Amino acid sequence: MISHRDRNAQRIAALDERAEALRLKPGMGIADARAMHPAIDVVEADPQADLRLLESLADWCDRYTPLVALDGADGLFLDITGCTHLFGGEHAMLDEILARFFHQGFDVRAGIASTAGAAWAAARFRGRCIIAIGQEEALLVPLPLAALRLEPAIRGSLESVGLRTVGAVLAAPRAPLARRFGIALLLRIDQALGRQDEAVSPRLPIAPLSVERHLAEPVTLIDDIERLVLLLATALKTDLERRGEGARAVALLLFRVDGVVTRLVVGTSRSMREPRLILKLFQEKLTAITEDFDAGYGFDLVRLAILATAPFDMHQADLADAAEDSEEDLALFADRIRARLGEGAILKPVAVESHLPERAVAVIPYWQDAPRRISPPKKPAGPRELPSAVPYQPERPIRLFQAPEPVEVPASEIPDGPPRQFRWRRALYRVAKVEGPERLAAEWWRKEEPTRDYFRIEDTEGRRYWLYRQGFFDASKPPPRWFMHGVFA
Amino acid sequence: MAINAVARDTVFALRRQIAKIEGTLPERLEVPASFDADRMLVRRSGVAESHGLLSTGADHFDAALNGGLPKAALTEFHGVETRDAGTVAGFALALAGLLLKPTGAQAPILWVGTAEIFREAGFPYARGLEANFGIAPENLLYAEAPKITDALWIAEEAAGLSALSAVVLELRGNPDRLDLTATRRLHRRALAAGRPVFLLRQAAFAEPTAAPVRLVVAPAPATLRNTMAGPLDGTIGRPGIAVTIGKSRAAQPGQFTLEWNPDERTFLDRTHAGATHQRPWDTQNRTKDPVAVVPLSSGGTDPAAAARQVLAFPPRQPLPAGDQPSRPQRPAHRRA
Repeated sequence: MISHRDRNAQRIAALDERAEALRLKPGMGIADARAMHPAIDVVEADPQADLRLLESLADWCDRYTPLVALDGADGLFLDITGCTHLFGGEHAMLDEILARFFHQGFDVRAGIASTAGAAWAAARFRGRCIIAIGQEEALLVPLPLAALRLEPAIRGSLESVGLRTVGAVLAAPRAPLARRFGIALLLRIDQALGRQDEAVSPRLPIAPLSVERHLAEPVTLIDDIERLVLLLATALKTDLERRGEGARAVALLLFRVDGVVTRLVVGTSRSMREPRLILKLFQEKLTAITEDFDAGYGFDLVRLAILATAPFDMHQADLADAAEDSEEDLALFADRIRARLGEGAILKPVAVESHLPERAVAVIPYWQDAPRRISPPKKPAGPRELPSAVPYQPERPIRLFQAPEPVEVPASEIPDGPPRQFRWRRALYRVAKVEGPERLAAEWWRKEEPTRDYFRIEDTEGRRYWLYRQGFFDASKPPPRWFMHGVFA
Repeated sequence: MAINAVARDTVFALRRQIAKIEGTLPERLEVPASFDADRMLVRRSGVAESHGLLSTGADHFDAALNGGLPKAALTEFHGVETRDAGTVAGFALALAGLLLKPTGAQAPILWVGTAEIFREAGFPYARGLEANFGIAPENLLYAEAPKITDALWIAEEAAGLSALSAVVLELRGNPDRLDLTATRRLHRRALAAGRPVFLLRQAAFAEPTAAPVRLVVAPAPATLRNTMAGPLDGTIGRPGIAVTIGKSRAAQPGQFTLEWNPDERTFLDRTHAGATHQRPWDTQNRTKDPVAVVPLSSGGTDPAAAARQVLAFPPRQPLPAGDQPSRPQRPAHRRA
């Protein structure tokens, strides 16, 4: 028995057949149920876990059609237009889906109809039936109002005037219905009867290209999966060639026999269509997940889908196979590292026009282009050959701490002057030479950030640091804090 | 042309004998171009690439290393403490920057490190690297690995790429993973690709590795900033780097204090500077320098003509400590 919290009381949300046999009902208070039958087992409802389960089921249903949509908390829509012949017709497909769900331990009701509304009603009120085109009305007429997917308020007011079945509502004139119960009622009727189109929005975007292979004997070994990937990638290559495109993101879906779907996605820095290279990326991905890779009883369906494409520019290699492919090598290398270690594994710095040191360089993933809001520093105008045109470069450290580290400064000669010694990471440093201060204030639109005075400091052993004092000295306030921001060569 | 194993063996034996007669190490003998024992010949577009030595510009240091650091090899840079990481990285990156110079640089430098070392010692800062070593941000790539195994894997994959001009691998301490086998794999790949791999080991002690050269790098005090009036007290000029040759098959052990010149991008040997280089604060030579200190204005009359004479004579005594040179003064005596 599952309980949930409703208006400050624990109530029964769902129960199994044995609990039903004890004449318990959904909506009953848990305290009442316990009073009647002290031995019942109550579990707290977990809507998030339910949703995760439903999503994993939706993933699994991906094997029948790429258009799978979630319907509320307990239903799935499968748009099987053009997919039925792959499974031997509508009857065979319905039987297979129900049988597979039954073997996975789910009690499932399903219906096939030419409109989403009619299929919804057929699955919930008829069960295991196929409604032919034009038969929607015949299906709906004897059913109660709940079959129309109406809001409880509308349903209640319809029932209060004696319209208790769909047939009764259909028989009533439309105009007064619309005036009294709102346009939503007529919309639902029209959608169920196919007079108005209803879009079922799929959960995942549809891949432009995908190939799959149903296996009679499930595979468990990684070597077999890799061989299949190569096979599927080879099949995709001709399609990509015809379109003049290459893949920018490829997904590998492994459908396990017991309903678990593993989805592996690799991205590429440049468009790619060579099967061996695609295989290489998936090899890295499979190596990376090898610890928690569980083949179980094996995979019976392997699908390779291309999620994003980009134009593929062909170029002819010369006979000596010159070093022109070096950039391609680098892109492949970066993709492999990305496939194994994640998005942020290979980074590149981009110079940004800002005088604040931590904002002057943005570090972005290798395959990304610099965002447009990052403006590169302006090149100095005028002829470069004059020595006076060389821009003034302030002294900057070669390493910068990701977060400036607080430094303890016991005493400085003058309040706003440099420190004579400081304590950083619990070690005491004596200052030998100082240059500074270099005063850096935040941009005018960031008023709340205090001004920093940077000092270049060399300690007695010859190490060079970049320290700053945050804010100014003021007798009425606590003394300003010091931070270590970077180190010099 | 391949030389068979027997012939190779004979040549090695002869080399050893000759070295004994000459009283030197066999590695220091001149190697004929056709016979290259430890290097692989790579032909690109039909032209054989020569992986020579990377000369630092400090003559005595280069001589002690028998010409410079090998370009196609694994080289170890040790720092005794983590707080020396700035100096160690600076020295290796300066060398990597020297590699970029002759080609004009399209191939980037990859800096691989674990997340731990980037947190402990600071993340590389592209602005500073550009200003100090001339490595533009577009010629830099970083790889941040969560674990040491991943960092080694990235470095190994990268070491075999000819699309990178150098690979810098930075690790901390003496991990078990970084053993003779791992370093040998890195070294062989560097040999095959003809690109250097710089292994920066912060807070590590010397272990047997496959790297032919190990340098122990420590910070040394910087020089004073040079102004028109001579060196300025209390300023921080060119950084000093104390380098000890810890291991090298060809070199004798030795200790050198080098000085990096970020303007000319060369190293100076501070311990032997008197013999080959003019000391930057040599005021005696400076006063004799006939070149006008203040440039003539181009065209028209020179309004500063009267003042020039006064400016040309530096004051006899150094300026009081703490007085900073004004900003426009500094680039005036950059020799570039």
